[in-house]
Amino acid sequence: MSSFQLLCPKCRIPLRESVINRTELAPCTVCAAPLQVEIFPALFRPIQTGRSGEAVLVETESSCFYHPQKKAVMHCEGCGRFLCALCDCELHGQHYCPQCLESGKKKGKIKSIENERTLYDSIALGLAVAPLLLFYVTFLTAPMALYVAIRYWKAPRSIVHRTRIRLVLALIFASLQIAGWVVAVIMITGSHG
Amino acid sequence: MADEPRYKRLTRARSRSRFAVVSAGNSSLWLGPDHLLCIDSTGFTEHYKRFSFRDIQALIVRKTDGYKYWSLALGMVGVFLAIIGAFTGDRVGSLVLFSIAAFFSLCMLLNLALGPTTVCYLQTAVQIELLPSIHRLRKARKVINILRPLIASAQGELAPEEIAARFSGTTAQTAQEPAVADAPPVISPVAPTARDSGEGTNVPPRIVS
Repeated sequence: MSSFQLLCPKCRIPLRESVINRTELAPCTVCAAPLQVEIFPALFRPIQTGRSGEAVLVETESSCFYHPQKKAVMHCEGCGRFLCALCDCELHGQHYCPQCLESGKKKGKIKSIENERTLYDSIALGLAVAPLLLFYVTFLTAPMALYVAIRYWKAPRSIVHRTRIRLVLALIFASLQIAGWVVAVIMITGSHG
Repeated sequence: MADEPRYKRLTRARSRSRFAVVSAGNSSLWLGPDHLLCIDSTGFTEHYKRFSFRDIQALIVRKTDGYKYWSLALGMVGVFLAIIGAFTGDRVGSLVLFSIAAFFSLCMLLNLALGPTTVCYLQTAVQIELLPSIHRLRKARKVINILRPLIASAQGELAPEEIAARFSGTTAQTAQEPAVADAPPVISPVAPTARDSGEGTNVPPRIVS
């Protein structure tokens, strides 16, 4: 009995060998959907079972920070706490405790597990450009765009390479809008005075 | 950031929804040093999914008939507008209608030139992820050709005989199994049998398997 599972995306029936690693499309043997399926050795790799910590036998042995009755096998590279095999989370060759992993993810310290970013440069540019259609709204949005651009100048941008061009453009547009409003106010007050 | 990996674009951003006009979210694929990065973006936020080359089990591409239906629809609109334009007495009106018909016909030709549409899935041990940015068969093959050697260098290659053996249910050895067998033995401080036999906890460590 094979342990792997490879299903047809249309009929959800296990695929046959006849459609695997072909250079051309091959029909599913059940639903005849044209498929190209590329499989790799990981498909047949057994799922690794989790390790459980070993009990501390001698009092002088180092124990896990989170499980004092378990023997320490590693230290966390984030906080230095001793960890048992159960608490040891390996990530690209580095070992962390679950708490550091969680905080590293939230604060973005561990880049390889960061799964979300806010694009402040796009927000600033959006605030500076989008309201131009309704000019009166820029009275509010231009200072907001200026604030976002300055406040988040050093904030991480997209994970894929991105320059500061959006922030620069947002600063230019927002400054021009504010300058326009200042000139307009001066002219209005000057004509009334 | 200096410590961030450099990514190379694999596919352009494409909406996750079929009705791209009303959907703000889009998805794109990027190639990292040891993983594939799928970015789901709303324009103001980005969500990242990383697929390590070690963990990718399969890439499944299914050809769909979407491009035929779209081509048919675009062609019909073009023909319809051209017919109306031909029977319109107004010269300017017919010119406008012919222009719109030409635009739709151009879209139809472009759609046909791009080739068959597909849906592509990436399978790992814990998920089957739809990759909406791989929308055309030509692009899917291009991506597979880029990924195949990278995944092979991370996992090794599968021999056709091994695939046949696996699918026929025989117990052929995988490329991964010898590595597991060569792993160092685990040292257990106290074997369960020693405890059960009442030897106490002062029994020296024993090597198990």
